[in-house]
Amino acid sequence: MSIPILTILVFLPLAGSLLLIPVWRCRTLMQPIALGVALSELALALWLYVSWKGLSAAALQPGFLLVEDTSWIPTFGIRYTLGLDGVSLLMIMLTAIVFCVGLTVSWNSIKEKTGLFLAMMLIMESGIMGVFLALDLALFYLFWEMMLIPMFFLIGIWGHGRRLYSTIKFFLFTMFGSLLMLLAIIALHLLHAQQTGTPSFELQELLKTDLPLETQLWLYAAFFLAFAIKFPLFPLHTWLPDAHTDAPTAGSVILAGLLLKTGSYALVRFGYTLFPLAAQMMTPLLYTLALIGIFYASLVAFAQQDMKRLIAYSSIGHMGYVAIGIAAWQPVALSGAILQMANHGITTAALFCLVGMLDERAHTREIAAFGGVWGKMPIWSFFFLLFAVTAMGVPGLNSFVGEFLILAGTMKSSPLVAALAFCGVVLPLIYMVRLVQEVVFQKERQPLSLEDLNPREISVLVVLALLNVWVGIHPAPLLEMLHGPVQLLTGGLP
Amino acid sequence: MTADDLFAIMPLLILSGGSVLLLLAGVVRPGGYLYGIAGAFAAAALLWNVAVPGDAVMPGLTITSFSRYFSAFLYGTGLVALLLASDYSRRRGITGEEFPATLLFALTGMGAACAANNLLMLFIALESFTFAFYILVAIERDSETGGEAGLKYLLNGTLSAALMSMGIALLYCSRGTLQLAELASLPATEPLYLTGSCLILLGLAFKLSLVPAHLWTPDVYQGAPAPVTALLSTASKAATLAALLLFIPLVNGWRGIHDIFWMLALLSLVSGNLAALLQNSIKRMLAWSSIAQMGYVALALAAAPSGGKASAVFYAIMYAAAGLASFGAVSLLSDRNDRDILEQYRGLGYKSPLAGAALAVSLFSLAGIPPTAGFMAKFAVFRSALRNGETALTTVAILTALVAVFFYLRVVVTLYMKPPGEQPGPDAPLTAAGVAALTIPTLVTLFLGVYPQPLLDLLTHIMA
Repeated sequence: MSIPILTILVFLPLAGSLLLIPVWRCRTLMQPIALGVALSELALALWLYVSWKGLSAAALQPGFLLVEDTSWIPTFGIRYTLGLDGVSLLMIMLTAIVFCVGLTVSWNSIKEKTGLFLAMMLIMESGIMGVFLALDLALFYLFWEMMLIPMFFLIGIWGHGRRLYSTIKFFLFTMFGSLLMLLAIIALHLLHAQQTGTPSFELQELLKTDLPLETQLWLYAAFFLAFAIKFPLFPLHTWLPDAHTDAPTAGSVILAGLLLKTGSYALVRFGYTLFPLAAQMMTPLLYTLALIGIFYASLVAFAQQDMKRLIAYSSIGHMGYVAIGIAAWQPVALSGAILQMANHGITTAALFCLVGMLDERAHTREIAAFGGVWGKMPIWSFFFLLFAVTAMGVPGLNSFVGEFLILAGTMKSSPLVAALAFCGVVLPLIYMVRLVQEVVFQKERQPLSLEDLNPREISVLVVLALLNVWVGIHPAPLLEMLHGPVQLLTGGLP
Repeated sequence: MTADDLFAIMPLLILSGGSVLLLLAGVVRPGGYLYGIAGAFAAAALLWNVAVPGDAVMPGLTITSFSRYFSAFLYGTGLVALLLASDYSRRRGITGEEFPATLLFALTGMGAACAANNLLMLFIALESFTFAFYILVAIERDSETGGEAGLKYLLNGTLSAALMSMGIALLYCSRGTLQLAELASLPATEPLYLTGSCLILLGLAFKLSLVPAHLWTPDVYQGAPAPVTALLSTASKAATLAALLLFIPLVNGWRGIHDIFWMLALLSLVSGNLAALLQNSIKRMLAWSSIAQMGYVALALAAAPSGGKASAVFYAIMYAAAGLASFGAVSLLSDRNDRDILEQYRGLGYKSPLAGAALAVSLFSLAGIPPTAGFMAKFAVFRSALRNGETALTTVAILTALVAVFFYLRVVVTLYMKPPGEQPGPDAPLTAAGVAALTIPTLVTLFLGVYPQPLLDLLTHIMA
């Protein structure tokens, strides 16, 4: 294929942010331009999805639909390698959708420095696309860090509450992990160069490195730390509630919908493939942390007064299931985990949007301030109920599919973990029922004049709801797309 | 001396001749136009170095591709500092020819330091640009801090010069020659020789402000006019690095040199980054951070056998771009009075977008966050260091880099995320010179962050 589609996918948003400069003062022009760029990304991603079977028939490299590879910094052995397989295609579609949602939902709420806001959103889209497509570890690291800067500004400039504290905390936490990962990447590269004589950062090349177990453990620990912070796993999660709560709505949507997924995606793509032995040895640790996360986060979520904070904690719990699915490292569970990444992206994005819409009207997110919203905002309440029920894992909606696959797969390899995780499934029920009951159904506690949703908001939610139901009822096409790469990923292991 | 030799040292002649010419022209007609002339001379020297390839050996100086390109880089730094200074002097009302003339003289010294082929010439070159800085630091005669800074720099500088000349004397005692090539041809074993080498290293560490020879740095950086600080923190250090690279072969094969750089790196990284954390004055913060940044250079030098020298030069170039942009932004954001306390920068990123953006980009670069040059430079340094087996020190370096991220971010937070409050914005809009002085290093920072390959090729070529 002569058109570098993946490169376009990565750099189109960046180019779009430059396109904003000539119309910097004119808010009415900038927003359609930014949304147009995001929609063209979505169109590209959907086109790739529609044609993935054709691409896989014509693929050169086994398992990858498209690969683009050119020399970049030969002195360091860094190449510009992008590759698309079923897993990254799913993530790319999610990214494109979530950015469209984020831009639409903040259409009226960002009134100051709109140009800067849109530019930051687009730059971040480039970074995240890059993370999901990069196959050269140095390139991956570059994108991995690049997405931090716009998020730092998003929370710091347009956030609420203790936004400065939260944004610095977010940045330092993620930097801490990534810097150690950088060392590990360089060390791996040097070991590989020692063994083969060719300096390279390419994943396919580095896979050939023969590592003694002890080295593997050290390197994997550094990678794991970086990914676990993004994930976030239990003791490293403390940045998340602050960052999610204080970010503007679009920021929370992207944080929960995408940034967390970069951690789990990278663990699948790099952590497990590069260091299979070490990863297997650390499986009990991953299980334990994930289980603690599920129970702990759910309990903490139950005690929250702020709706956004509650949903932030629920994210930690749901990502715990993804972690379990990855830790099982078994085709069914892994497909479930990857699918659940997308599902959770859709669901939390919708929940954060809904809370953001309520916040825009009532100027508070305290649960105690609401009650009887069903009577005033029936459409909002309908969607809120729908996505709350999704988060509880009700069959027919997307979360159920993902969690079921994860638990079914885990049951085979470690029944005890699966049994414990099954018990954890009840917990979202408790805090979500409480949330819905207090906000939507209970008697009105404060007289608030709330207008129901406008067409722009409804259209966003309708799209998300349709995706939700579609994956819930008919996940087969997506699972079919994941099947090949998941087999390849897990194939090397007993 | 043949015509070829004359051609090869033409840049030095242009700069020293230009310096004298400016002093004469200033007597006849002082004014801002002198900065333009000085800039033209610096640009001419730069272009000559890049465009006219001519290697030559003469008493005292050896012109190689290393010296030509390295001094071209130094002249480029000087050129940006001249642009900054012309803007700054206009606002502060510093007229007179001393500033541009002294600056050109400093550039001459730096150019000679890259090309020296014997220790005496190296010493003279180093001292001649340091001497120029004694004047430049204290050039604002009615500034209280300037005088103090000048005196502190002078006293510390004299001490280091004394140590270095003592060291050179010991080397001469032990071997009976001052030629670098002859000294490097024998393995370094005699105690007298090693003592002398250590004294020279200490003198150079002073100019690089590596811990424990760093104590002058915060006071001098804070007290000196911002354009001078910009040049002092970048070109002066880079020129010293060039001298150090010429000196290192003299002690090749001595294990101690590795340990010395190892220790210098550790101390500089830890104390520089931790002390920077406590500063409220932005210039002092940048000063401590520059100490830490030189720690990364020392780390690269400790890994010299594994390609660390090229990484050190890459790092110095990155630091020069970031240092010029950050001190340049500080200089251009200050009006009649220095804007030095961090809180005075609240919300300035919106009031003066260019200076704010330049400051933010350079701080991200110093913090080592892609896609800026700082990331690539740190990458190069860590790669050499790990290849040389310095795992422990590299881990320390990366953890202190995390500390550094915090204090660099604090400035960005103040620039963009805090409400402006009562702070007045800058009075005058930027002049063309100011815009150029900020844009050039910022673009270099971004370019090297995305595509450093041309520079890396050049470094491989000249360091061979």
